[in-house]
Amino acid sequence: MKESLLDIVCCPLDKHDLDLEVTEREAGEDGEITAGTLTCTDCGETYPIEDGIPNLLPPDMRE
Amino acid sequence: MPEAPEGGDAHEADTTETRDALAERRGLDAPVYAPAEDSGLLAGAAVEHARGVTLEVGTGSGWVADRVRTEGDATRVIGSDVNPHACERAHDRGVEAIRGDLLGPFRDGALDTVLFNPPYLPTDPDNEWDDWQEVALSGGESGRDLIEPFLDDLARALAPDGVALLLVSSLAGFADVVEYAVARGLHAETVAEESYPFETLSILALRHRTDRE
Repeated sequence: MKESLLDIVCCPLDKHDLDLEVTEREAGEDGEITAGTLTCTDCGETYPIEDGIPNLLPPDMRE
Repeated sequence: MPEAPEGGDAHEADTTETRDALAERRGLDAPVYAPAEDSGLLAGAAVEHARGVTLEVGTGSGWVADRVRTEGDATRVIGSDVNPHACERAHDRGVEAIRGDLLGPFRDGALDTVLFNPPYLPTDPDNEWDDWQEVALSGGESGRDLIEPFLDDLARALAPDGVALLLVSSLAGFADVVEYAVARGLHAETVAEESYPFETLSILALRHRTDRE
């Protein structure tokens, strides 16, 4: 995912902002974030980013 | 000579092996909705109308989103799906992918254009398949199990001058969908329509209703 996606997405539970923590990023200035975590600034729920795709399903809908 | 023939063969074998391994790891043979007539109808309308930040909800293989990205005037095209295999397929096509449920993970007013070809086949609750194919097709008993929660949340996520293009089949009850959308403060207008032997497909353009209406 691109960092600028943070302007468009939010926590699916309470619609608050998400904090991004990057653990893996492609090379280059605008490199895609391939692995990391999104954390809700309000409720603290965490959402994983895997293979460049953020999983923003509510926790009860994840397998 | 740039490459010995044996080298070429070995390379080819490697490529096949890699592709098969990738297919297995990524579940490329897993059920993901394949583009059909409804996808073509939605893609045509979307290429014409999509502007700004565009989201395709339930993007499946990402085919519609990719057409809008390559042929339309949108500044950014995102595809979302509950199905992880669909997200991977769309991402591999070059579409920004998000795993999510309907409009749940999108900010208030963030979307200039929303596209949705919902699962709409009316299904018997005692006879459901409980797999990704069902998730892609079944609209519950009324055919509107996904359409109604989408319409409940649309006015929140849609930008003030934004538009949503919703594919509606006569099987899901066209008049019921329009009535439901209007009751949620939306203005509905049909922008494309095609008839098939068992259903009529319409593209409904949904916008915020203004005070003048």
